[in-house]
Amino acid sequence: MHIFLCEDSIDGIFTGIYDAWASRYGHKNIKLCINDTITYELFSEYITVTPDSEKSKKVGRTIIARLGMEVYQDILQAVLAHDDKKKNEHPDKADCIYRTLLYGFSLADGHRILQALGNPYIARVFELSRSTGNEAHHLLGFLRFQELENGVLFSTIHPKNQVISVLAEHFTDRLPQEHFMIYDATHQIAAIHKAGSGYFLTDASNLNPDVITRLSPAEKEYQKLWCGFFDSIAIEARKNPKLQSQNIPKRFWKDTVELASGK
Amino acid sequence: MNITENMSLMEKLTILSDAAKYDVACTSSGVDRKGNGRGMGNSVAPGICHTFSADGRCISLLKILFTNECIFRCAYCQNNCNNDVPRASFTPDEVCNLTMEFYRRNYIEGLFLSSGILISPNYTMELIYQTLYQLRVCHHFNGYIHVKAIPGADPVLIEKAGFLADRMSVNLELPTADGLKALAPNKSRKTILKPMRLIQNGIMENQNELMVYHKTPKFVPAGQSTQMIIGATPENDYQIIKVAEGLYQNFQLKRVFYSAFVNVNHNSNLPTLPGGPPLLREHRLYQADWLLRFYGFSAGELLSEDRPDFNIFLDPKCDWALRHLEAFPVEINRADYNTLLRVPGIGVKSANRIVKARRHSRLDFSDLKKIGVVLKRAAYFITCSGRMMYSIPQNEDYICSCLMQDKTQIPKEIRDSSYKQISFFDEDALSDFKLTTNDLCVG
Repeated sequence: MHIFLCEDSIDGIFTGIYDAWASRYGHKNIKLCINDTITYELFSEYITVTPDSEKSKKVGRTIIARLGMEVYQDILQAVLAHDDKKKNEHPDKADCIYRTLLYGFSLADGHRILQALGNPYIARVFELSRSTGNEAHHLLGFLRFQELENGVLFSTIHPKNQVISVLAEHFTDRLPQEHFMIYDATHQIAAIHKAGSGYFLTDASNLNPDVITRLSPAEKEYQKLWCGFFDSIAIEARKNPKLQSQNIPKRFWKDTVELASGK
Repeated sequence: MNITENMSLMEKLTILSDAAKYDVACTSSGVDRKGNGRGMGNSVAPGICHTFSADGRCISLLKILFTNECIFRCAYCQNNCNNDVPRASFTPDEVCNLTMEFYRRNYIEGLFLSSGILISPNYTMELIYQTLYQLRVCHHFNGYIHVKAIPGADPVLIEKAGFLADRMSVNLELPTADGLKALAPNKSRKTILKPMRLIQNGIMENQNELMVYHKTPKFVPAGQSTQMIIGATPENDYQIIKVAEGLYQNFQLKRVFYSAFVNVNHNSNLPTLPGGPPLLREHRLYQADWLLRFYGFSAGELLSEDRPDFNIFLDPKCDWALRHLEAFPVEINRADYNTLLRVPGIGVKSANRIVKARRHSRLDFSDLKKIGVVLKRAAYFITCSGRMMYSIPQNEDYICSCLMQDKTQIPKEIRDSSYKQISFFDEDALSDFKLTTNDLCVG
């Protein structure tokens, strides 16, 4: 068995797919694995994949050409998903994506490949993609901006999956005339948007914590108003904390103003 | 009635959101609109929930009344002019400012503006229109707006507001004209249905114009909705869903909302509900509402004059399926989409996925599970390649008792809520119920 160890990123996984395909070891003799989660097996050859943006682009282009834009978006979402390794029942994320693509390329028309949920690899890719999609949709609502002293809107999130590009895209369209910054504390990336232009992603591992705690004078006022509204809109006779935490899971609470003080 | 001058914004917001909370429509769905690059805001068709209040309901819009002063005296409403509650009114500027500042912090998806009747319906509608105008034109707000059409207001004013809003609603309040007469003496079926028809016609004309001129301003693009109060008057479930069906068919409403009655005024003419608001009944009505809108059921199939209320133990779809065992089991690999939709445990999404996935390969029970079919309900009604999941008798009593073991039949949040169900899980209640199913069997 030849095992390709990929970095957990778009370039990492797509380069892994490129190298695996080009290696001509035969699909049965190949496995792809994310490099940080692996338990080594005997009698296998391990090949470490170096992410290469050229190879990655080629794979991306091929997916779009052969399987269409919709499948490409879903595959991307699956790549960005957090592969929950605690449930050891699933094959590795990278391997599932590889096998899904193999199956898709073998069809005359691969545009509907992700509907073939009878195939376990495809079902897993579908599940991963949905997990990213769902979390991104949640955060479109649960994300909160705070206005800093300098007028910039700043937000901290702790997502499981890498959803920041979806969020940045959405808020660039929604708040075109605002300076804003979204900080993904789990993956240490930030999206920065300047009023009137597009956004870009940047490494945020050395973010200055000082700047982001200095809020504008009006900020506290609006937070209070919002919390007041949040309390008075609830109907006492229907109080139901379980339903509440089912709808907005606790892991989102610390990043929202109105629920941060709750348990 | 006391109107305090110089109230702080915080006090006003507290009073006027508290006064708006019994309006259930808080969705921001139905319209897809990109940002325009200049102002602020866009809109996403499925809607976005921003947070969930302590009662577990979604908060999507800044839901407020413009004023809670009111010349009407509707018995169920806490803003009833005979009530001694603190009164407040916003100014259009305050509403705009709150909406804009909340929106840019991503607290909300937009504004839900309703109002008590201040001075006259026309005066109130004019104020609402002014507010929307300022928000859209001066503040360049491009997010979602849901606005109430005030019954009895001039059609011209309602139409003007409709060109600025995404969704409009007129509340039906009570399902029958008699109920309305008894509890809301200042409103009548006519004053409620008139603006509803007006909005419907406006939407239809606008759609025709949009086909010819693409640049025509849009009129209520997310459609109109309404709400009914459940449990304040003695109507049964059959009457209620008949009304809802009529509204969907004749008024092309996007949504009908149901609001479990809370006796806020402790009015002696109204029922006291010792068990709290009728949440389970509300839940069954919403389930049936979905069956009407997306599953091709009609009100007459779900209930009838002889069986006017929903089964408290089973959801309306299971209940229907049990009474139509002759239509089952359904073969997953062959049945058409509409037949699949009628199987308990199969929803719109999973029916869609089944139809698509079976083109690639035959489906088995394990595949159905991955697709999202709820097998603990579906198992009794389907076959995969001619086989049932368990060998079970096609017997109504037997399947019914199996289905009732599924606790989700009465949703967790209602079982767990502080509201005590009227001892549904008593042995007595259950044995009573078994008797009735036996009766049905014989009939």
